[in-house]
Amino acid sequence: MASLVLPEEARRAAEVIKQADIVIGIPSYNNERTIAHVVRAAYAGLAKYFPQLTAVVVNSDGGSTDATREAVISARVEDSHLLLLDTPLGGAHRLSFPYHGVPGKGSAFRLVFQLASTLGAKACAVVDSDLRSITPEWIDLLVRPVLFAGYDFVAPYYQRHKYDGTITNSIVYPLTRSLYGLSVRQPIGGEFGISARLVSRYLERDVWDTDVARYGIDIWMTTVAIAEGFRVCQSFLGAKLHDAKDPSSDLSAMLHQVVGSVFTLMQEYEPVWWEREGARPVEVFGFRFDVGLDPINVDVARMARAFERGCEELGEVWALALTPDTLARLRALGRGCRLGQPLHVDNELWTRVVYEFACAYRRQPISRGHLMRSLTPLYLARVASFVIETQQMGPAEVETEIENLCLAFEQQKPYLRTQWNGKSGGAPPVRPEREVVTP
Amino acid sequence: MTETFRRVLEDAISRLQSQVTTYLPPLLAAAIMLLGAWLLASALRWIVYRIFKGLTIDKFLRQSGLALMIDRSGRLRATRIVAESSYWGILLGGALMGLSVFNTDLTMQVAQGFVYLLPKLLASGAILLAGAWLSQFLGRSMLVWSVNEGLPHPRRLAALVRTVILFVAVVVVADQMNFARTVFLTAFVILFGGAVLCAVLAIALGAAGSVRRYLEEKREARESGERSLWSHL
Repeated sequence: MASLVLPEEARRAAEVIKQADIVIGIPSYNNERTIAHVVRAAYAGLAKYFPQLTAVVVNSDGGSTDATREAVISARVEDSHLLLLDTPLGGAHRLSFPYHGVPGKGSAFRLVFQLASTLGAKACAVVDSDLRSITPEWIDLLVRPVLFAGYDFVAPYYQRHKYDGTITNSIVYPLTRSLYGLSVRQPIGGEFGISARLVSRYLERDVWDTDVARYGIDIWMTTVAIAEGFRVCQSFLGAKLHDAKDPSSDLSAMLHQVVGSVFTLMQEYEPVWWEREGARPVEVFGFRFDVGLDPINVDVARMARAFERGCEELGEVWALALTPDTLARLRALGRGCRLGQPLHVDNELWTRVVYEFACAYRRQPISRGHLMRSLTPLYLARVASFVIETQQMGPAEVETEIENLCLAFEQQKPYLRTQWNGKSGGAPPVRPEREVVTP
Repeated sequence: MTETFRRVLEDAISRLQSQVTTYLPPLLAAAIMLLGAWLLASALRWIVYRIFKGLTIDKFLRQSGLALMIDRSGRLRATRIVAESSYWGILLGGALMGLSVFNTDLTMQVAQGFVYLLPKLLASGAILLAGAWLSQFLGRSMLVWSVNEGLPHPRRLAALVRTVILFVAVVVVADQMNFARTVFLTAFVILFGGAVLCAVLAIALGAAGSVRRYLEEKREARESGERSLWSHL
């Protein structure tokens, strides 16, 4: 079990506060532009929806070099509890920047959870510090299901542009859903509500110094909640708008960190997902409404070129992860692409690619870093294919397409089991994709 | 005449007898040692093949790409390496022991020379193996990275990385073995300097267009909204 020894700074603060019903955690790293708004929204939400309860807002900073701390202090509300803590980061943490831009986000969450546990909080919520669209209602929607409906884990449910969240839509959501049998639409959303019971469970786990905590804390929290049978629900938060990310962020590193975390968790929870079939819906709290979304420009030709190059150059790496049949189909697509044919990576092929990479990640025919980074051209091909097919579609139709992909993942699960055990033959016949009606 | 012939014959027989009594026992001893070594080596190889699974080493060989480099079929197993190394090592040891039985200057020189060289040979083997592993690993890193970054000729770049690292390993080994030390070092300096010069000239003159196009594409991608798709999870 992870030790429950709080840093001195946090321990002194906890002694003063003594008890709190709600703890709101805000990890940060150089978020001076947005964090004041996030802190104000958190205070407003607590004051408006939970005036009768005691609450603490905790900013756990990963060593910001800008005016993040000053921004937090300026947003403080009188007579309220605000803790500004530094997340103790080791050298490795500082050097390994996770996809969210918060170094040591896992360490920050751990500190928030330790504090929540020490203060005896009944509910804890964590929100990203780069949010532009957060409102006081978000706090209510993340905390209320825990306090008054007995849920242990509240996942966010956003309205997003059809081309936003492509890693979530094409890999993380379908894979998590088919594995663990729950339709949590945004497994790596970044905003969560958590019960005291689940906080204790998180703290029991000895993962806080591993890569999962460093890079995949969001998917880890979601997976633990789903796989270990905690009560899970979703809250509709509207649109998620956040500060512009670092433009130099590397897509292949992002895939490595996020998808690699999902694959790592697959190994840990193998007995759980092996038995589960299908997927059941998860209750959604909150009033659903349509919001205007920022347009997203996509250069399909550039993605197709990346795939072509991958087909030409990465065959030797892919051959170590993919079955000959899958590889042949991808190469045929690459040849078609060169001849000017539109790129079409169908659901069944994409499912196989993801499953075969998951199995290769387990077998490790090559280093996992190389393996996951070599997935980038294939992922871009899938995104390009998705963009081409959904160009004329509205949000509801696009959601149906994503639902069809999820069904393909569920139908191909026997294939995953076969491949997982290292048996190459015996792939189940592919059934035609079921048409679904948008919920 | 008859007496002379008899004496010559007796001398010849005596010499032969002397030679036989001098060399046959050591020859027999050497043969027995060699036979013993062969039996021991075969037995050890048999045992290693059956008992030593070498799963971790096999995994390492696969992941590092060494298995693929040494054996293109990718079926190379650590078990085989250990078994064959043990076999040939013991056989070689037996042969050296057999040679030392003769106790001549030549055989002693051979045995001593080999004993003197053995640590260096082992160190050189380890250096070559490490170099081969590093070249495979970094070559693959370069391949994947250059494809993802859209650099021209990823496979050539990867091959270049592999070659340079292997060449460095060979230079170190030559230095270790004291074998044509200056030749290898000079060749390395000339090649490395030449490669750097070529790269500078290529960038400055011949490949200026490619580099400009590449940098332009990167800049356009950064400035366009397309990047936003890539940074949203």
